[in-house]
Amino acid sequence: MKKVLIIGSGISGLSCAIKCAENGVYALLISPFPSERSQSVMAAGGINAVLSDCDNGDSVECHIEDTLKGGSYLGGKKSVSGLCSRGEEIIKYLERIGTVFSTDSSGRPIRRAFGGQSHKRTCFCGSSTGKQIVSALIMEARRYEAKGLIKRRLWSDFHSALIHDGRCFGALLFGEGTGRLEAVYADAVVIAAGGQNSVFGKTTGSTQCDGYVSGKLFMQGVELKNLEFIQYHPTTIETPQKKMLISEAVRGEGGRLFYNENGRRVYFLEDKYGSRGNLMTRDVLSREIAAAKKEVFLDISFLEKKEIDRRLPEVRDICKKYRGIDISAEAIPVSPSVHFFMGGIAVHMNHETNIKNLFAVGECASMYHGANRLGGNSLLAAIYSGWVAAEDIAGKESSGKAENFTETEEKENAALKSRMTTKSNFPVMYIRDMLAGTMCSKLGIVRDEATLGEGLADIDYYLSVAEKINYDASVLPYFNYSLTGILTLSKAIITCAVNRKESRGAHFRSDHPESRDELCYSSIISYNNGSFSFRLDKEHEYES
Amino acid sequence: MKVKILRQQAPDTEPYWETFSYDGPQDNTVAGILDYLNYNDDITDINGNKTSRIGWECSCLQGMCGGCAMVINDEPSLACETFLRDLESSELIIQPLKKFPVVHDLVVDRSVIHENLMKSDIFIGEFIPSGVKDNEHQYSLAKCLKCGLCLEVCPNYVNGKTFFGALFANDCYLVTARNNARRKEIKKAYNEHFGKDCSKSLSCMDICPMKIQTIASIAKMNKI
Repeated sequence: MKKVLIIGSGISGLSCAIKCAENGVYALLISPFPSERSQSVMAAGGINAVLSDCDNGDSVECHIEDTLKGGSYLGGKKSVSGLCSRGEEIIKYLERIGTVFSTDSSGRPIRRAFGGQSHKRTCFCGSSTGKQIVSALIMEARRYEAKGLIKRRLWSDFHSALIHDGRCFGALLFGEGTGRLEAVYADAVVIAAGGQNSVFGKTTGSTQCDGYVSGKLFMQGVELKNLEFIQYHPTTIETPQKKMLISEAVRGEGGRLFYNENGRRVYFLEDKYGSRGNLMTRDVLSREIAAAKKEVFLDISFLEKKEIDRRLPEVRDICKKYRGIDISAEAIPVSPSVHFFMGGIAVHMNHETNIKNLFAVGECASMYHGANRLGGNSLLAAIYSGWVAAEDIAGKESSGKAENFTETEEKENAALKSRMTTKSNFPVMYIRDMLAGTMCSKLGIVRDEATLGEGLADIDYYLSVAEKINYDASVLPYFNYSLTGILTLSKAIITCAVNRKESRGAHFRSDHPESRDELCYSSIISYNNGSFSFRLDKEHEYES
Repeated sequence: MKVKILRQQAPDTEPYWETFSYDGPQDNTVAGILDYLNYNDDITDINGNKTSRIGWECSCLQGMCGGCAMVINDEPSLACETFLRDLESSELIIQPLKKFPVVHDLVVDRSVIHENLMKSDIFIGEFIPSGVKDNEHQYSLAKCLKCGLCLEVCPNYVNGKTFFGALFANDCYLVTARNNARRKEIKKAYNEHFGKDCSKSLSCMDICPMKIQTIASIAKMNKI
């Protein structure tokens, strides 16, 4: 039986594992913690799909056009068409496996309006859509686990891919229990490791999503794409712990953004963009809020309390618990924060990377969202991409070719051991904190060459010391061995931002404020022995 | 503020107490305090002796993932939702959950939760509505974090060998509500691993971070 190794057990990893199992392919699902801890559970607002009982005038073509336009036409038309055309199938599937959608009296999923969309097409489960989907997928995966077609391995961390001659044969995994690296072989490896949130410190996402897997694979020859496009979510609330997401669902339910001036509320977005001003795309809103240079609030208090309780209970709870704010009586102070990464591992339409038998799905892959993602499209893409990769793997003949990586395994184990026998307690987290400071201050909503250059210089310094410091032997070895990969990925992100000398979607350059037609291509970055090479994908080589 | 933590280097080593001094922000949560102790400076105990960093599990830092469940001043809770201002003691005492094997410090192995659900075939399979109109209850059940707090406080739950606890009962009801055809077989597993041994202390409901009404699930399962 064919075997697939899946790194990450959030929605895209689970979807891929289940689809593999449905097709008789054995899936080994790797993660440090169970799926309940994945970042997917934090996705709030909803999942887009044009259903047969859609809004008057809506169609799959409209969804495709909205997605392409929202992404400033960097998302490939063929791939986006594939994504949108399976929307209804995905919703039906989620219903079939028991997802608890918010439904009308006839049991049909209710749809809400979301930013940048011409019609109401966002299906949702209260304001915890991601969690509800994860719960349903966990149950479905369990069905196949009981049959022996899916196996979970917890307390395991990715170390590196086993690559030879442009082909992937498995991965080296670190066992937190054994303290050793182990080579695990498979017919295909699927990376479902999420975005790179924590290179920016504590963002709206999970602390577990640190970008290491993408960074390490980049160093092993995997190409990355569109890294400069980072979505700042316009509405997050500051708490002592982190910035927490205030779901787009609040604006979907009619929430209005304003600031105070001379004792009156100024609904600055409605003034500028008309009645749908609060539902402009996230990149536009984040820039407008930053440009207002005033404390901005989001008001939903005009909605009846029972409607807030019914449709936005999680938003109500976050505001009450962490800030003591009653959203049915007062407005929520909001500001933009790093939220989603449109860029990531470059993949072809079957979600295979430039390395054979190595796939990437979910947020760590870059495919559909172009320069800016529409709310409700990430959950759709997470499931769709997991399916596409699984279907491709299931349909391929196994090469049957085997390679032995015992020597690599021994060499890497020896390197890890020598690093961990240090008596030092210099925590790698100090450098991670400095990196987060650099990334937040040098790669903000508005960028320019000089500031980005300062960021590059900072990261070059961190990289110059990363291999020389003695690490803290009292923390998980993962934190120590992952540092160089994370720093390398961060450098690649800034390099892409320096090289895109225009403004497009979420990438805004104050020194190049216009979009340039001749640059309307995805960016690709590759690594060779310490040097980075940047190019535009003018031949659309990944749209194939 | 004194912070006393029950530590353990590895699953097979002896636990020991270590005390730290916390002088950080007062509006912090226990999760924030652990982070502050670990990475505000070199880590030392209250007497200035260098020590190792405190192991604990976290992901979302906002009560949505259940990773940071631990025992805080004798009360099992999520560290990211427990605020310093709400603690009635001037001392903070943190211990790992006691009903699960310790992996390292405050990190415990809760895989028994998933294993029990798997060996009892707790999955929906196919949506065949039961006709009961309780979407809101089902929605709340699917929010279960599998954090283990309900098992920690349960007088009947020991180690998950026979009695599987409130989270199991709630998942049983969710399956029967979403797949009417599986009612009988799920009821059998429910009786075997929950119904016959639950003494209805309902401490599971008071502790649940998602405020899941286990008693409603019990009442509904009893009607099957």
